[in-house]
Amino acid sequence: MKIGRRARSLSSIGGGLCLTMAAALLSARALAADPVNLEGTWKLSAPQPAFKPEGGSIPFTAFGRKRYAQNKRNLASGAYEEYDYATARCASPGVPRLMLTPLRFRIWQRPGWIAFQFEWNRLLRQVALGSLTQPQVNLTSGPGNSEDDALVGRAIPISKGSWERDTLVVDTEGFRDNTLLDNLVPHGYDLKTTERIRLKDANTLEDHISIEDPKYFTRPWQTVVNYQRQPDDPFPENVCLDTRTADGAAAVKP
Amino acid sequence: MESGTNSIWRRTAALALLIYTSAAIAQLPGPPPGAQGPAADGGPPPGGLLPGGPNGPPGAAGSPGDGGDGRNPFAPPPLSPDAPQPSADPRDFDGTWYHDAALQFQITTDLFGSKLPFTDAGRKVEQRRVKSLKTGTPFINASARCFPPGQPWQMDLNMPFQIFQSKNRLDLAFEEYHGLVQIVLDPAKALPAAYMGSSVAHWDGNTLVVETTSFKDGLWLDVDGTPASKNAKLTMRIRKVKSDHWFLEVEFTLDDPTYYTRAWSWMRDYSWRPDMTLFHEYNCELQTGAKDGVDPSLVPEPQD
Repeated sequence: MKIGRRARSLSSIGGGLCLTMAAALLSARALAADPVNLEGTWKLSAPQPAFKPEGGSIPFTAFGRKRYAQNKRNLASGAYEEYDYATARCASPGVPRLMLTPLRFRIWQRPGWIAFQFEWNRLLRQVALGSLTQPQVNLTSGPGNSEDDALVGRAIPISKGSWERDTLVVDTEGFRDNTLLDNLVPHGYDLKTTERIRLKDANTLEDHISIEDPKYFTRPWQTVVNYQRQPDDPFPENVCLDTRTADGAAAVKP
Repeated sequence: MESGTNSIWRRTAALALLIYTSAAIAQLPGPPPGAQGPAADGGPPPGGLLPGGPNGPPGAAGSPGDGGDGRNPFAPPPLSPDAPQPSADPRDFDGTWYHDAALQFQITTDLFGSKLPFTDAGRKVEQRRVKSLKTGTPFINASARCFPPGQPWQMDLNMPFQIFQSKNRLDLAFEEYHGLVQIVLDPAKALPAAYMGSSVAHWDGNTLVVETTSFKDGLWLDVDGTPASKNAKLTMRIRKVKSDHWFLEVEFTLDDPTYYTRAWSWMRDYSWRPDMTLFHEYNCELQTGAKDGVDPSLVPEPQD
């Protein structure tokens, strides 16, 4: 592969490039149409199980506040199945919660789309740029069906992405309702998120997230999460079902 | 009386429909928090249907479940001529690939048409699994539990996968089981033991030779349960080929003295399918992760 050979050659001449430079060289493949290279391995700058809302508080509706209080009571009593339906089973916690994973994720930029490969339970998130769409298949032509996704929602919907100068804008809707926004905050089918993802500096990635769900929140609210660049190492195989404790909770939460 | 071909087609169709149905069930909203178990979702767990589902005739030759052209009945139509093409670099496998040949329920012969060279121990396991299907008490396997099932099973099912190729690795991300295989080029970066083993590769000309060892558990190589022990070494020789379309040709070689008297090989092709880049969601733990989430019609396999 030309890019790889060139990078190796430079590396040997220079006696070792810094992480950022190497990452920039190696991922040139994807970047013909993308203004910024976000590729690399990333990890939350500091662990946080919950989103920290800008302005200090989440603007719950009465319904949302009631559900949130219920979740807090169930957490206190250890009744994970009662409020964290998906994760208690090791099923996909969905987005945006996965953006709070304490483990790493890797970003790949490819023509027409961007991938987030999560270490936690090997989950993949896909962001379509431009006109790329899911295959329209039906019962006579194959497993999986985009109409099903539309009917019942997904934990990790296919997001739509676009570039605004140096920022990747990621719009997501079409959610299931049995995941949580973070470790406690509920949402419904009408959740919509808009993420603005950019490099704050060469080794810091920022995700500014706007969250909207009129049944649960009186207005859209925002939060910011930061990540630090990590070495480009493979992820040890992560199988959530292997890590569950006797009470059924995953040992490492997403 | 239906023809053999028709019968095979119907079995394949049924299997794929079961996979489809179970995947679709996994998409259902599910019961509200507090409801009990997967039964509330109204269906059996995904994956659990595979070993208990329709299978090729036990002991019979590999079962090409196609309509005569060798493709699975659900393979999408051929790519349009204006679809994006892969890199011309023969060492660049990056992109979306799809096993569009008919699913073979049981591998009974090797690449050269010889019967599989079972040891007594291997034959015992294979016959036990085939018998369990005949008697209607199939065994729980990795797929039924939504665990990583090993490369042969993972790569046989007719769902797409990505290859993300970089200087240090090839990362294969699969739609089904949200599977992940990371192949490192530097042996110093080899991963510890895993259900998918630990894969290290090198180039032999333009063929990538991937050697996988350190399996955490034994494997089912196919739906009927052709076995590999956890001591096996699996080698995949992968090359990118163009005929009337681009595809990856993979020669699998299993070296497993526990179950086979010699190493043996089989082949698979994976077509270039950029139109299948965006995956459907495969969220099988939603059922299998529940208490009693594994299909109750399946039974634990005796351990040797």
